Amino acid sequence: MANSVTFGTRTPVDFAIIGSGAAGGIIAKELSTAGFDVVLFEQGPYRKASDFTHDELAVLYRYELEGGGARNSRQTFRSNAGEKAMTRTGRLPAEFAQTVGGSSVHFTANLWRFRDIDFRERSLLGPISGTNFADWPISYAELEPYYTKVDWEIGVSGEPGPFDSPRSKPFPLPPMPVTSSGVLLERGAKKLGLHAQVEPLAILSQPFNNRPACINCGYCMWFGCEVGAKSSTLAAMIPLAEASGHCEIRAESTVFRIETDEKGRANEVLYYDADGNERGQRAKAVIVCGNGAETPRLLLMSASGQHPDGLANSSGFVGRNLMFNNHAFVNAVFEEPLNDYKGVQVTRIIHDFYESDESRGFYGGGGIDARPLWSATPILHAELGMPPDVPSWGAAWKDEFAHNFTRQMSVVGGTTSLALDSNNITLDPQNTDDRGRPSIRVTYMDHDDDLSMAQFLEDRAMELVEAAGAVKAWRGGVGQTTWSAHLLGTCRMGDDPASSVVDRDHRSHDVPNLFICDGSSFVTSGRGQPTMTIMALAFRAADKIKAAATAGEI
Amino acid sequence: MKNNNDLTRRRFLLAASAMSGATLARISVPSLLAITQAACTARDDGVAFEVLMEKEAADIAAIAARIIPTTDTPGATEAGVIHFFDKAFAAEMSEDLYLARGALDEYNTSIPGATTFAGLSADDQDALLQSIETSEFFAFLRQMTIYGFLAMSDYGGNRDHVGWDLIGFEGHHGGWQYPFGYYDAQVRGGSDDGE
Repeated sequence: MANSVTFGTRTPVDFAIIGSGAAGGIIAKELSTAGFDVVLFEQGPYRKASDFTHDELAVLYRYELEGGGARNSRQTFRSNAGEKAMTRTGRLPAEFAQTVGGSSVHFTANLWRFRDIDFRERSLLGPISGTNFADWPISYAELEPYYTKVDWEIGVSGEPGPFDSPRSKPFPLPPMPVTSSGVLLERGAKKLGLHAQVEPLAILSQPFNNRPACINCGYCMWFGCEVGAKSSTLAAMIPLAEASGHCEIRAESTVFRIETDEKGRANEVLYYDADGNERGQRAKAVIVCGNGAETPRLLLMSASGQHPDGLANSSGFVGRNLMFNNHAFVNAVFEEPLNDYKGVQVTRIIHDFYESDESRGFYGGGGIDARPLWSATPILHAELGMPPDVPSWGAAWKDEFAHNFTRQMSVVGGTTSLALDSNNITLDPQNTDDRGRPSIRVTYMDHDDDLSMAQFLEDRAMELVEAAGAVKAWRGGVGQTTWSAHLLGTCRMGDDPASSVVDRDHRSHDVPNLFICDGSSFVTSGRGQPTMTIMALAFRAADKIKAAATAGEI
Repeated sequence: MKNNNDLTRRRFLLAASAMSGATLARISVPSLLAITQAACTARDDGVAFEVLMEKEAADIAAIAARIIPTTDTPGATEAGVIHFFDKAFAAEMSEDLYLARGALDEYNTSIPGATTFAGLSADDQDALLQSIETSEFFAFLRQMTIYGFLAMSDYGGNRDHVGWDLIGFEGHHGGWQYPFGYYDAQVRGGSDDGE
């Protein structure tokens, strides 16, 4: 892939950015268009829109966009430190894409903002014992201009909802056309006295910023957008970064260590190039945007004499407080075809249960949406979408499968996750991935309140599909989260260096020229849609980093 | 189960268990990387299989045809699912072919007379498969059958999109205009396009 600029490895560039996803892609664009020289590292290949396919087998079952998945990453999972962590087949415990644009390429494009309460819930509700429940060091008001920046620079379609925190500018694009699952959610909500609202989406409903509008092909969830209408950083940011002449995209380059000098400053990132050769890139400052699993792994792998427990880890908080967002769902079949495989996944959501409510008897809140989920693509439906009361093969299975595919949808609830020491990312002591790095080891068990919230939302989802007129409905069943694409909290931001990894401006407490910004920065989990907040944090971090660099304070 | 006896059932179960562990651990991440569009020219009738022998192809095709039977609509047979198996076994799943072959051989030699699975009646085939439906061998065959029925036809199965046609999925079209389904069409009505 031709780059507009190529930097030598021995001359320090202004910034080495590690990870080109929701955060890294934005920060690279912001810094390079401001005139700073940037090398943007991405371990996956540089795919363009035209490289993305509708090949369900390749994308969903061969994990084409996820580096080949479990067979290559050899991630391990355990529910607590007393268990032996095991590798597995199927979905990765910590799921993320490996491609330029990162997971913003294959995510479903749900993009609601957090609300004011998300940032100060600990103050509002008080402590929760046994957890690291805390306020964010920044407020919604401080982040609001950057949410708006995401709306207008990344490209968001939507319409304000009744419970949203205030916004300074309207959505740049009208909502995507409502799907039948959206209509049915509205119908159910109306009967129950709830408020269905438009889901903000990182998908263009109209041409915008020289990008085309969505063609409603339906391949959003886990797929890359073939027309560039999904507002990934690949579609919205990377082209601007490259056009600046100050950003080199170094794809298929896997960073495995950040080196520090005798003064304790980061000065070089070591990486494997496409052929597996070890290389080093010198940099004046390093910004880690791996994701909530890769970022702590890299910091832990960068341990040295000066930083024996891992880089930027004097607090011991690197890798800790992993938050997945538990999810509950109900599947429902309706009389007439929804054809929900057409169009975007989610067009309507319900935020009536967003806030924690003491009367429920546990902490937590959640968001509800309607979507095809398993009925988005055929193999997915056959494998995960079939009701429990039919045989798993034969004529009866075939009849039900043939009847349900176009008539089925799901109502999904995403919950808060409490931050716990015991939920974390560590280096697996036994396994290595295909590039020779220690495998990511995930240790995770939902807090009881997270599970209670999931159960609460599953109950509401059942009421909603019944109120909407479902002829058949069944529960997904609430259980422990054993895999997630929401990788949050593992390098949290905070004012106290003893209980956080980065400060409110994403500068690490320990290493002055090391910045960290991605889902790992989160202090609380939100209610199931983190990407908008990752993107807003990235725009804000870029502003702070630009200001510091300009003032000579890096 | 007319032609079956306890011995047959037991031996098939044994063979099925030989397919467990390491082999099946890989199935949920099928290593089908080498199945490319270019490699899939065997979808036409009469083209020889790449690796499957005729007899074992008949047995696997018969099993697939019970998993997704031909009814008043096309099933695994019409979708050419057996060609998906052949392509997969010819690519990176050759080890799985070896194990599947062993399982089928052992099972077939235990069937009284000269009959193979393919030679049994549909009812007997069903009864036999029911007896192993919780095994990993069966899970493997079922998953491969589903893939072959529903994956893009470039992989050798899902001929003429019969798998997609069965369920009303028109995924081979590019994009869509609303209304998409019955319920959003209802609210849109006349000039109100809903947005």
